[in-house]
Amino acid sequence: MTLLAGAQPSWFPLAREEARGLLTAKGPWILAVLLVLWGYRPTYVGWQGLGSNMTIGFLQTAGSFLLPLGVLLLSYRSVVGERTSGSLKFVLGLPMTRSDVLVGKVLGRSAGIAIPISAAAVTLGVIGLIRFGAFSPLLFCGVLLSTVVYVMSLVSVGTALSAVTTSTVRAAGAAFGGVYLVFTAFWTKFAEIIYATVGTAPPETTVGTASVNTFSAPADGLFFLLLRLSPGRAYRVLTNWLLGVGNSGGSFDAVITKLETPTSITIYTVESAFHGQTPPAYLHELSGVVILLCWLLVPLGVARYRFERGDLV
Amino acid sequence: MTVPAIKTAGLSKQYDEVTALDGLELTVEQGEVYGFLGPNGAGKSTTIGLLMNYSKPTAGTARVLGFDPWTDVVACHQQIGILPDRFDTYDNRSARRHLQLVADTKGADADPAALLERVGLGDAIDRPAGEFSQGMEQRLALAMSLVGDPELLILDEPFTGLDPHGVALVREVVDSESERGTTVFFSSHVLGQVEVVCDRIGILHRGRLVDEGTLSAFRERLDLTAEATVEDVFIQLTDESVQQTTDSARLREEDQ
Repeated sequence: MTLLAGAQPSWFPLAREEARGLLTAKGPWILAVLLVLWGYRPTYVGWQGLGSNMTIGFLQTAGSFLLPLGVLLLSYRSVVGERTSGSLKFVLGLPMTRSDVLVGKVLGRSAGIAIPISAAAVTLGVIGLIRFGAFSPLLFCGVLLSTVVYVMSLVSVGTALSAVTTSTVRAAGAAFGGVYLVFTAFWTKFAEIIYATVGTAPPETTVGTASVNTFSAPADGLFFLLLRLSPGRAYRVLTNWLLGVGNSGGSFDAVITKLETPTSITIYTVESAFHGQTPPAYLHELSGVVILLCWLLVPLGVARYRFERGDLV
Repeated sequence: MTVPAIKTAGLSKQYDEVTALDGLELTVEQGEVYGFLGPNGAGKSTTIGLLMNYSKPTAGTARVLGFDPWTDVVACHQQIGILPDRFDTYDNRSARRHLQLVADTKGADADPAALLERVGLGDAIDRPAGEFSQGMEQRLALAMSLVGDPELLILDEPFTGLDPHGVALVREVVDSESERGTTVFFSSHVLGQVEVVCDRIGILHRGRLVDEGTLSAFRERLDLTAEATVEDVFIQLTDESVQQTTDSARLREEDQ
């Protein structure tokens, strides 16, 4: 017992308590139910492209739009809420460093949110299994694991914002206005504007001023890199790669539509923009993992730097 | 010679325009019960916040049980039990879970049931703290501070929100912990409640320690009768200190 206590890191009890707090609360389970309802979207094109593996695509649908909103909602108050209420005084009085507090918060919250979300994924899997037959269990696990990494990144960003703000209102503004709206929901629009303003569009795609749209997507690696800097698009680049539908941050069924059917559709894919030319190596789909890990580590690292130094009460 | 439980030198804290603490020189020996007194806003919670690494000093040094409170946080907090001021408990966690978190983090073999029994919350052990009254929360926090038999007990305004039974309980806990050899450092602005429990008192006013000593020494020096209470000592001292401050302010104005 003593040996076990000595072996566990100092943040572990805090992380366990955080996870327990979420698992016994309603919020994460309501999110899980909503994700099942949101994610279950059988389509002809999905079936045409993936067959029974379409069920695994439901996980990606569940992981887009609603999941980041829910996870940020469950994370943005994690530190600042305790700071304003005064319960942070107990946590900071425990024998661990402030960095340990952040690590415990992020890992504990990640577990407390990832478990209900995994339950939602399994539910989608069971429904799909009954309706559409057996799918690849390995692929299912791969997409689920990607989703868990995505959840951890979002919890980390939410907690980082929570650790450096002094009011819950400001934390909410940064999480929803900044991270959710700019980087998740409308990132494509922002990326187009940024690229048109500062980017160097290759001459053949430039008509008059530099303009970008999905019908004349520039065969410029930097534009595609910019697009996938969004955590949501990075997650879909990674899961589209696992599903084998193409190199794109769009949803899997849209990517299938664009690449497998004669229908023209307003999304960006590396394949259609580069027309058989070799895209730069950094546009490999594994860049999705790298970007998710950056979202997991960089904001938290910055937050840790400030959280270690400031006055917290 | 053992290291002092608390030793500060020139400890200062400045918030924008406000000087919350101004060159505090404080020594609390191990085994002492030290009452840290002063009116609201004197800098008591600021001092405790600095000693607990809730905030960082603008100037000065501090040692808590020989450790630097801002760099040796883990070693320091391992030996400290804290009852903070203006805290909040976790609404959806039971009293037991509150204590268990402290015990697990400290690696202490605590008995939550016995500790809660000791502070009069034996019946409420599995109730969520969200249902607690202010007095019950205060008792819960007191129990949390006792987990792992700390060497130094820091109680920030421990009498807040307590009924007479609660006040008696805090005194009893301070007495018995002191008997066990624990150093107790507590702050209060409720003066009448401290004289029975303190070995020594220090009086903080406007961020400075204006005086310290035993109550009997204060009585002698300030020429008070034997019946004088901490209240009398306190009023006399803070009046003097206000007088000094206004005097020096007037002198400064005259200089200009």
